[in-house]
Amino acid sequence: MPLLETRGLTKSFGGLTAVLDLDLKVEEGEIVSLIGPNGAGKTTVFNLITGLYLPDRGDILFEGRSLVGLQPHEITALGIARTFQTLRIFTNMTVLENVMVAQHCRSKAGMWSAILRLPGFRREEERIRQKAIRWLSFFGTRLVGYRFDQPAYSLSYANRRRLEVARAMATEPRLLLLDEPTAGMNPHETQEMTGLIGRLRDEAGCTILCIEHDMKVVQGISDRVVALDYGRKIAEGTHEEVANNERVIEAYLGRKRACAKPGEPSAEPQTQT
Amino acid sequence: MSTDFQFGTDEWVAQEEARRREAEAAGRLGFRLRRAWDRIDPRLRLLAGLALAALVPFVVHNDYHLRVAGFTGLFISLSLGLNVVAGFAGLLDLGYVAFYGIGAYSYALLASPHFHQHWPFWLVLPLVVLISALFGLVLGSPSLRLRGDYLAIVTLGFGQIAGILFLNMDRVNLPFLHLDRPLNITGGPNGIINVDDIRVLGYTFDNVTRYYYLILIFTALILIAIYHLDRSRIGRAWRAIREDELAAQTMGVDVRRLKLLAFSVGAGVAGATGVVFAAWQGAVFPPNFDVTVLIILYSMVVLGGVGTVWGAVSGGVILSILPELLRNPEMARFIFYGALVLGILFAFRRRKLSGLALLGGVILWGLAVKALLTWLRPAWLTQPQIPASIAQSFYAPLIKALNWWMVHPLNSQGVGNIAFAVALGLLLVAYRFKARFQYALWVPALYALTFVWETRLVQEPSITRMLIFGALLVLMMNYRPQGLFGQRRVQRQ
Amino acid sequence: MEAILKQLPQQLVNGITLGSVYALIALGYSMVYGILQLLNFAHGEVYMIGAFIGWGVFALLAPQETLLLPAPVLILLMLVLAMLGCGLLGVVIEWFAYRPLRDAPRIAPLISALGVSFFLQNAVLLTMTARYRTYRTGLLIPRTWQVSAFGATISMTKILVIVVALVLMVGLRYLVQRTRLGKAMRATAQDREAAAMMGIDVDRIIVVTFFIGSALGGAAGVLVGLLFTQVYHFMGFTAGLKGFTAAVFGGIGNIPGAMLGGLLLGIIESIGSGFISPTYKDLIAFALLILVLIFRPNGLLGAKVPQKV
Repeated sequence: MPLLETRGLTKSFGGLTAVLDLDLKVEEGEIVSLIGPNGAGKTTVFNLITGLYLPDRGDILFEGRSLVGLQPHEITALGIARTFQTLRIFTNMTVLENVMVAQHCRSKAGMWSAILRLPGFRREEERIRQKAIRWLSFFGTRLVGYRFDQPAYSLSYANRRRLEVARAMATEPRLLLLDEPTAGMNPHETQEMTGLIGRLRDEAGCTILCIEHDMKVVQGISDRVVALDYGRKIAEGTHEEVANNERVIEAYLGRKRACAKPGEPSAEPQTQT
Repeated sequence: MSTDFQFGTDEWVAQEEARRREAEAAGRLGFRLRRAWDRIDPRLRLLAGLALAALVPFVVHNDYHLRVAGFTGLFISLSLGLNVVAGFAGLLDLGYVAFYGIGAYSYALLASPHFHQHWPFWLVLPLVVLISALFGLVLGSPSLRLRGDYLAIVTLGFGQIAGILFLNMDRVNLPFLHLDRPLNITGGPNGIINVDDIRVLGYTFDNVTRYYYLILIFTALILIAIYHLDRSRIGRAWRAIREDELAAQTMGVDVRRLKLLAFSVGAGVAGATGVVFAAWQGAVFPPNFDVTVLIILYSMVVLGGVGTVWGAVSGGVILSILPELLRNPEMARFIFYGALVLGILFAFRRRKLSGLALLGGVILWGLAVKALLTWLRPAWLTQPQIPASIAQSFYAPLIKALNWWMVHPLNSQGVGNIAFAVALGLLLVAYRFKARFQYALWVPALYALTFVWETRLVQEPSITRMLIFGALLVLMMNYRPQGLFGQRRVQRQ
Repeated sequence: MEAILKQLPQQLVNGITLGSVYALIALGYSMVYGILQLLNFAHGEVYMIGAFIGWGVFALLAPQETLLLPAPVLILLMLVLAMLGCGLLGVVIEWFAYRPLRDAPRIAPLISALGVSFFLQNAVLLTMTARYRTYRTGLLIPRTWQVSAFGATISMTKILVIVVALVLMVGLRYLVQRTRLGKAMRATAQDREAAAMMGIDVDRIIVVTFFIGSALGGAAGVLVGLLFTQVYHFMGFTAGLKGFTAAVFGGIGNIPGAMLGGLLLGIIESIGSGFISPTYKDLIAFALLILVLIFRPNGLLGAKVPQKV
C-alpha cells in the first residue's frame, strides 16, 4: 500500500481547473518531486492534501485512510507536515517557540495543568523543548544557541526556510511536503538544502514529496519525478525520463522552441511572491 | 565557509534591525531599564508588586481613594482577561463587557433579596464562571468562522443585546406562562440592589479595606493563572494563531478549539470579576456594563501593550489612577502642563533649541493674545480669582501664573466650544503639515489646546476623561502599537 | 390577525422610510470596506455630526418661528452643508487615523476607529451637552401635508426622505458605474496594488471614497433629524451599528447590496417593533446581524472570495 495516494483528484476555482483527475502515488521512504510550470497546480495539490482546500472530486488516501473532509490540524496529527512557498513563519515568536508550536498535536497538557504547573505539565514542556532543540540542531549551528530566543523575523531568508523545515519536522510527520524549499537561496545554500532533504529521509525516516523548480535539485534528490501541466499529470518516472519527455519540454518551453533542454537550472525564472 | 549568509535578507528586516539599534542608542536609559526589568524573576516582580499594593491601605486613609485602588484591581483583572482574547489570540472581542455584566447580574440574582436567593459565594463563583464561559462558547462558536472584523461587529452586537436586555428585562412577559404580572428579572434601569457581601468560611467582607485585600488576592490569582497559561503550549498556540492562522492550522493546532478556549477563558475571567464587583458595590446597574467600560478596557490593554501580561497590569494601573487625579482641577492643570512641557522636550530631545523655541513661542503668543484683547476688547474678558481653599497650597503659584497669562472670556463655554474645534483643526494640520516652517504652526495649535483646556476641559473632567481615552487609542495605534511596555511587532509582508 | 394586517401597510411605509436612511448609512460603510477592507466604526459618529450640522444650519436660518429662506432652499442648504462638512470630516479621519495604519495588523485600524468614534462622540457631548436638540420640521413641512393610501398615511417628510435617499443613491450608482472616477474606484477595490500600477492615484481614490461615503452619512443624519426631529450625541452609535448590519446584510463592499440591505433592515425592524415590542427594536436588528453573519456571511448579494494560500 502506498503511503499517499490520490485518486482522480480534481479541484477548480470558478472556471479555472487547477487540478484535474490527478492520480499520484508516493511509496514509503521515497522522495518524489513534483515539477511543472507556474500555475500548473502543484501548490494546489499540497493544499488539497493538507486539507486547506476541499477537492471537488476524487480521494486522497494516507496509509489507506481517506483525508477528504478532515481538518488541516487532524491531517497534521495523522503525520503529514508541510512548508510554504511563501514562508509562513510565526514572525513575532522566537525561533525556538516557532518549533515548539509544532509539537502542539504531539502534546496534551490541558488548561488546568498548565495553570497549576502540575508535574506532568512540566515534564511535557521539557520534552517539547528538547525536541525543538533537536530539530533546530539539524541545521548545524545556524539556528541554535543565542538564536533560540531571537524573534523569527530577525532571520535571513535562507534561515527562515530552514526554520520552516525544522518546524514541519517537529510535528513528527511520516510524509513531508516541501513547497519549493530552495526558492530564493543562493547556489551554495541550494546545494546544502539538497543534501539536507536526503538526510531528512535517511535519518528521520520521512517520506518526502517536494515541489521544486531547480532541475539540479530535482535531479539530486528525486527517486521519482512527476510533471504537471494545467493540473494534469503529463509525465512520471525517473529524472532522466521526465526531463527528456517531449510533453514536459513542450510544457516548459512551448511548442515551437521545443528543442532546448529543460535540464538547465533556469528552466523557468524563479519568481518569489 | 561562513555560517551565515546575508543573501536574501529582506529590506524590512534590515530596516527593523536598524530601528532597533537606533532605539538602543537613543533611549539608552529606557533600554537599560527594560533589560534590568527583564532580568528580574517574574515571581519576584509579582511579590514586589503585591507587597506594594498591600501597603496601600496603610498609606491611604480615605475610603474613596481605597475604592479607586480596589477598582484598579478589578480593571486589571478585566484587562488581563481581555488580553487573553484580544492580545494572545488576536480576536477583537467587542462584547467582552457583556460577560462582566453577565457575571455581575448572575451573582446579584443568586445572592440578593431580589428573588430571595442567598447562595453562598463559594458555590456562586464557580457557577458564574461556568455560566460566563458557556456564554463565551455560545457567542464564540458560530462567530469564529467569520473574518476578523466581522467577529468584532458580531461581538459588538452581542454586547449591545446584553445591554438592552439588562435594561429592559424588568417587565418580561412570557407568552406561554400566563403570569398575572410581568416578571421583573434585572430590575431594569433601577438595577438590583442590596446584593449580599462576600462571605467565605464565616468571614464577611463588609468594608472597603477587606474588599481591597480580597480584590488584591483575586487579581494576583488571575495574573498568575494567565501568566502560566501564556507560557504553555496553549499560550504558544494562541500566539501562533495570532501570527498566522493558516500556518498554525497546518502545524497541527486546532485553531477553532483554541479560539473558543480563548473566548471562554476571557469570558470566565470577566464573569468572575463581575461577581466580585457586584458583591463589593452591593448593587448592579445597566450602565456599569456599557460601551464606555469597553473603551476604557481597550485603552488599558493598548496602553500597556497588547498581548503582554505586565502591559495589562501597567495599563490598568495608569488609566485607573490618572482620571482620578484629573478630578481635582488644580492637580489636573499641574499634570496637563507638566505633560505638555515634558512632551515637547521629549519630542525635541535631539533639537533642544527648537523645543525651547516652541515653548517660548507658545508663551509669547499667549501674552500677545492677552495684550491685544485687553487693549481692543476689554469688555470680553474677566479676571478669575483664586479660590481661598487653594490660595496657600502648593499649586497656588502655578494657578496665579496661569490666570495672569491666559485670557478668560466672559462667555467661556461658547468661546471654549469654538476654540475646541479650532484647536482640533490646528493640531491636525500642524501634525500633518510638512513644510519648512511647520513648527511655527504648533505655536497657535498648542496655545489653542491650552485655551480649551482652561475654558472647557478642566470644567468637565468626566468628558475629558473619555476624550483622553478615545484619543489615546488612536495615538497609540499610530505611534506605539506595541504599547508602552510591549515589544515592537513586525508585520508579515 | 386582523389588526396585524390592518397595520401592515403603515409599518411597510415606516420601514421603507427608515430603510432608505439605513441604506444611506450602509453605503458609507460598504464603500470604505470595499476599498480598504476596513470597518469604519466612526461612520456612525459622522452621521450624528451630520445631523448636528443640519440642526445648526436650521437653528441659524430659522431663529424664531419664521424662516429666513424658503423651505426647499433651506432643506437643500442643510443637506448640502451637512454633506460637505461630513465629507471633510471623513477625509480628516482617514487622513489622521487610518492612513498611517494601512499596512498595520488588521486589529490596529479597528482599535483606532473605535477610538475615533469614542472621541467624536464625547467631543460632541462636550460642545453640545447631552441635551436633545429639536428639528422643528413642522416649520418646513406642515404636518398636515400627507397622503393616505391603502390604509397607510404617508407624510410629506417621509416622501422627502425617500426621494432624497433615492436621488443620492441613483447619483452614486451613476458615479460608480459610468464615470472615470467610478471606474478607478472599482479598480482600486479589486486590487489596490494593481490599480496603483495602472496609474491610478490610489490615495486620492481612497480620499474621494471617504468623502462620498461620509457625505452620504451626513445626508442620512439630516434626513433622520427631519424625520424624528430629535438629535443627540449618542444617536450615532446604534445607527452606525445598524448601518453596518444593513451593509453586511446586503453583502459588504457591494453598493446595490447596501441599498437592498438597508431597505430590508428598515422593513424588518418596523414590522418587528410594530408586532413584537418597540423596546426590542434594536435587539431585532442586532439579532438579524448576528444571524446573517453566521448563516450568510457574504450577505444577500455578496460573492464568496476564495482564500489565498
